Amino acid sequence: MIKAGQIDKGTALLIKGQPFICIEREFVNPGKGSAFVRLKLKSPSTGQVLSETMKSQDNAEDITVEDRDIQYLYNDGTNFAFMNVETFDQIEVPMASYPDYQYFMKEGETYRATFWEDQVLDIIIPAKIVFTVAEAEEAVKGDTVQGATKYVTTETGLRVRVPIFIKQGEKIRVNTETKEYLERVNK
Amino acid sequence: MKSQKERSLMYRAVREFFDSRGYSEIFTPTLSADLIPEPTIQNFSTLFTSPFLPSRELYLIPSPEIFMKQVMAEEKTSVYQISQCFRNSEQLGSVHNPEFTMLEYYTMGFSDKDSIRLTRELIDAVLFDYSPSFLRKDFIVLSVNEAMKKWAGCDLDRLQDRQALLEKARKLGQHPDDDEAWDDIFNRIFITYVEPSLPEDRIVVLTDYPYQIDCLAKKQDGRPYRSRWELYIAGIEVANCYEEETSPAVTAEYYRKEHERTVRERQGSGNVIPAVSESFPSLSIPPSSGVAIGLDRLLMCLTGKKDIREVLLFPMQDMIRS
Repeated sequence: MIKAGQIDKGTALLIKGQPFICIEREFVNPGKGSAFVRLKLKSPSTGQVLSETMKSQDNAEDITVEDRDIQYLYNDGTNFAFMNVETFDQIEVPMASYPDYQYFMKEGETYRATFWEDQVLDIIIPAKIVFTVAEAEEAVKGDTVQGATKYVTTETGLRVRVPIFIKQGEKIRVNTETKEYLERVNK
Repeated sequence: MKSQKERSLMYRAVREFFDSRGYSEIFTPTLSADLIPEPTIQNFSTLFTSPFLPSRELYLIPSPEIFMKQVMAEEKTSVYQISQCFRNSEQLGSVHNPEFTMLEYYTMGFSDKDSIRLTRELIDAVLFDYSPSFLRKDFIVLSVNEAMKKWAGCDLDRLQDRQALLEKARKLGQHPDDDEAWDDIFNRIFITYVEPSLPEDRIVVLTDYPYQIDCLAKKQDGRPYRSRWELYIAGIEVANCYEEETSPAVTAEYYRKEHERTVRERQGSGNVIPAVSESFPSLSIPPSSGVAIGLDRLLMCLTGKKDIREVLLFPMQDMIRS
């Protein structure tokens, strides 16, 4: 048990038997009222986000989680399939819980995941990832309205706006939070 | 230099505003031997020591109300003050600093609704040319119940029964305890559904707070509400106003109940339990309305800043971390 006031971003909680991860926490002290925390909690199994308000002094059921390595195998449009690299067990995770992750993860690569018992609560992807440009539009000459940029598609299918000098087959570094181009990678 | 110039100009404009309207500026202590009991505000205490006198616990004021009302009762005149106030809690963040600046003004003969008009004029007087333009628009004034109906689907007129409100909260998806008090259930719903929905492009004044939230604002005749309002700018609570309770009997009852609650909730917790005065409740407070404005928050709004640390030279958060 922990006090609701100690819940932070990333804290894993059990609510009515279901695990949730705190994705936002804000202290609220209404005029002449008790101290509360306003939480946004995400269900890893459904992607559903709950708005929950608790008194700072309320008890909440926290759960012990551990990080394990999992290898990304493929997705079937509904679920991601992973393999636990230690036990070789296959794990399925609903894609709806991790929007756009299909564009960030590469088949065969290993990622760190947060587990509660056998359930994946979170998959950690790097803040910046290097992609190979699989398709690049031809730059339109004289088009400076867009600040001389164009769209390319990476090997994972992510569409990124890049400067016009980026060519097919080149590598680019992308910010996974904003999906913005950061730089060309020469090696 | 973190809005120091703007702060200085704002203080000057505040003083000009009240001086030109005949208010007396007063200067009361920051340390007090007793406080008005307010169970939801945690306090700071310190110890007075002397070789000749018994040592004694003193408190940093959470608001200058305790002194300002004594002056009002004695002098029967409208007063204002800019003072440093202190509220102890675990909450540090973008709109909280344990030490903050409060502007309080009490107007003789005013209702809480009269104070809305005065506060509109005050904000006009402190605006900078470059302040966000929505601050110049008319206030949106609506009652707490209208807001609760609109954003939480709760009609408080019909939810006076604690059990009914508890069930409503659960239906909305909240998890209050079985024995949670009416005011806590209300606040839970209010801060989950109403506060985040308040328009951020206008100044919003919420009036007529539930009487169950105990405070020294007058209860309205025959209605379950108090003559109290709060003012929000961009979703941030900036001001609180009461039509002041004038009855010594009601004030004495408030003192007794709220001090008891403070003792009950804090005993054994290590939190400060402030002493209360026996004479304060018997003051003859004249009919009046008092407003408290958080000036650091107001300065943030006037200068378009998103974090209170941007208007403080030495924010507590930085001091504690280093």
